[in-house]
Amino acid sequence: MVKQLGFVLDVNRCLGCGACAKACQNRNQLAPSLVRRKIRKIEKFSKDHIEMFYLSTACNHCGNPECLRVCPSGAYAKRRDGIVLHLSEKCTGCKSCVASCPFGAPLINPQTNKASKCQLCYERLDRGMPPFCVQACLTGALRLKELKDIPDNKLLRLTAPAPSLRLTRPSVFYKPPRATKVSGFLFPK
Amino acid sequence: MKFHQSICPRNCYDTCSIISTTHKGVLISVEGNPHHEYTSGKLCPKALDDVKKVYSPQRIRYPMRQRGRYSGFWERISWDEALTLIAEKILSLKETYGSSLPLALNKYSGNFGVLHNAMEGLFTGIGATTRTVGSPCWSAGVEAQTYDFGTFFCSDPLDMAKANLIWLWGVNPAWTAVHQMPIIFDAIDGGAKVVCFDTHFSATAARAHRYVQVRPGTDGLLALGFAKVLLEENLIDSNLSSYTLGHEEFFHYLENEISLDNCSEITGVSISTIRELALEYGKTHPACIWAGFGLQRYTNGGQTLRAIDALGALAGHLGEQGGGVQYAQFQTWRFSGAIQNPAHPFNISSNTDHPSIDSLTQNQKQTDRLLNINRFSEEALSCTDPPVKILWISGRNPLSQDGNLQQWKKLINQLDLIVVNDLFHSKSSEAADLFLPITTHYEHWDLNAGYWHYWVGVNEPAILPIGESRSDIQIAWDVSSKLNELEPGSCIFPTSGDEKETLLRELGPQMLDILGLKKPEEILKAPVRANFPSTAWENRIFATPSGRYEFFSSQASNARLSPLPIFVPPLNPSIDAPLRLLTPHHYSTINSQVYASGADNSDYVLHLAPELAQRHNLAVGDRAQIWNKSGLLEVVIQPLLGISADTVIIFQEQVEANSPLNCLIGTPLTDMGQLILGAPGFALNETFVNLRKL
Repeated sequence: MVKQLGFVLDVNRCLGCGACAKACQNRNQLAPSLVRRKIRKIEKFSKDHIEMFYLSTACNHCGNPECLRVCPSGAYAKRRDGIVLHLSEKCTGCKSCVASCPFGAPLINPQTNKASKCQLCYERLDRGMPPFCVQACLTGALRLKELKDIPDNKLLRLTAPAPSLRLTRPSVFYKPPRATKVSGFLFPK
Repeated sequence: MKFHQSICPRNCYDTCSIISTTHKGVLISVEGNPHHEYTSGKLCPKALDDVKKVYSPQRIRYPMRQRGRYSGFWERISWDEALTLIAEKILSLKETYGSSLPLALNKYSGNFGVLHNAMEGLFTGIGATTRTVGSPCWSAGVEAQTYDFGTFFCSDPLDMAKANLIWLWGVNPAWTAVHQMPIIFDAIDGGAKVVCFDTHFSATAARAHRYVQVRPGTDGLLALGFAKVLLEENLIDSNLSSYTLGHEEFFHYLENEISLDNCSEITGVSISTIRELALEYGKTHPACIWAGFGLQRYTNGGQTLRAIDALGALAGHLGEQGGGVQYAQFQTWRFSGAIQNPAHPFNISSNTDHPSIDSLTQNQKQTDRLLNINRFSEEALSCTDPPVKILWISGRNPLSQDGNLQQWKKLINQLDLIVVNDLFHSKSSEAADLFLPITTHYEHWDLNAGYWHYWVGVNEPAILPIGESRSDIQIAWDVSSKLNELEPGSCIFPTSGDEKETLLRELGPQMLDILGLKKPEEILKAPVRANFPSTAWENRIFATPSGRYEFFSSQASNARLSPLPIFVPPLNPSIDAPLRLLTPHHYSTINSQVYASGADNSDYVLHLAPELAQRHNLAVGDRAQIWNKSGLLEVVIQPLLGISADTVIIFQEQVEANSPLNCLIGTPLTDMGQLILGAPGFALNETFVNLRKL
């Protein structure tokens, strides 16, 4: 049976602390410009509520990966567990994937001039260990799950609000954020 | 691959147990210890950069001498040259003044490992010297809780998971105590409600159900307002008379002196919100308050903590599993003190009621000259007989963190020798003559206790010292050795030793009892949790003179403070400096200790209310100046949610700015701290500035 592993982020547990991104950077020994995981802060206000949460994002290991579709040299593969792998030995550094990924996941490694992206720590997964980012998460907000097991109504696709972005079927889901009730001060206009 | 037990030694709630991995003598990774119930296998982003920090190219690897202070002309010298220079200077000053008092040590919490107290031991070994007393951090709160509870103690932080209501008051664990957040989330998953009280909408507030903005320095009044509602609504614990002292007097104070109108006006919290929250707090059990350190960094800080304690007591939340008023503890710090007392290594008063992280305040020799750490430069300058001539700065960066920099400049001019031992250059080393490179906790033995959780453990060296760096205790042995070589008998601190043996001697009978160990060596296996009950004051038997919770404290009265918790207003801004400046911790640093390889920003970021920004015609990214009579700082503007328009905030980030943030800071002191820590604390949040667009 074909699986699809994906990241599920409980934004109500995410502190935006960046331990996931730092663990990815340090443990994969990435050059400073190769940022595979980023933290985005989202703020929304209503009359008496603030919704402030963080999105920890990396390669979405799409169900329908654009990088794989556009790569002229076959340097991308999708494993049976859903991981989208970049095969460095086949990569010519043509940057087609860099230009086409709607999420900006592949980046050019300045040392090799080839593309580079999150491989979901597949070598660790194959040994039964979690990816570095998930292992580092202090609150259990970031998890790796078999997506087919999760009921659809529990999840949001905040990462791909525009319909065109959903075409690639990113394998990343977020639990809906809970707003904080506030009182006693004015909001910016 | 080899695995080693490490402990993060920074001044932080979490004091994490770390498993460090080495390969062929090289540190390759650090991870949280999964068998430590608080660290729980995870590390904060600061510690995740430890490998980079250990091998950082910026790290100082050799003893250095600066040709001309502030010149930046540093030259490498040998350890023997450095030690000779220090020892000769000490001996010649002793000769000149007939006293060792010209020798001053300024040390605090750069590394909280017990072996770092060797610096105090060295100074004691030399004779009567000039020392710091007190703490720049938590003094007022420590003393307040001692008046109320009799000693300074909190529940095991895991106890918070059992709460049905959690009030996070002036604390931002999402940035400064990340390991507490999963415990709070577990409580939420179990149905608990979380309310966050702060001066601004923090990362913690964003994860709470409710955020209440409190005007800075008025939290004590808000607590008294809540208490008044509890009294009016008869939501007070019916058993108060069995375990508290002076509740009638406190009721009388609430009835006569506290009005909700006034409370609402001053705190900025509406009466309906005060009522609603008070009712919820009075009716929900268990309910826990976590009071942060920032709350007490005001001239009324001790009273604020006492008022919050009293609120918890009134509602019957003290001693309740998952309840209480939590601040911190130092009951797990009852080390023998053998290191800092070289003259009497086996004669330590281990039954003291107030063991202290600030080892100086315990077992302090009467003859030492004690200066308040928060007014060090002023008090050192006022010492004339004899003057201070040598300053040794260890585990501190006062030129980046202390107030009153003008006085510091004067003091520096008066000094013959300034020695700094550190990992990296700092604002303080810019003024130093000698820089001694020290080891990180991955390169030496140590013994560490938490001041929030109950764990104590050993830190093993994972790698050999980098470059020629030496541990603080090795440096102390070496200085003693050089002193004795030049003048036999001039220092009674040991001239050599074994780090592991020395740390084991710190576990005296009392510590072994607390840790449930038969022999000190047993702690080498793994960190140990002190065998205290998980819930502080669970039997409602307190350590006060009366054995009760004391609303009315004679000890406070004896210290010329109000016996009851009362509201004393914080300082008011002036026309010249109308905005209160707060400088809380940033998630990426602990004070001036930084972890990343370089600064992200070239300027401090000033956070302010959108309406205040509008008033000054300031938009995001605009440049502005803030100033007061102490100094002037250029900043970049960033609006912030949930902050009042009379307050501005600069988080203590790593910044490549020309002037340090503390150029704006004076030395206001807190109302409490003298009795327990020997000096009042630092009322850092009583800093005021003016603002103009550039």
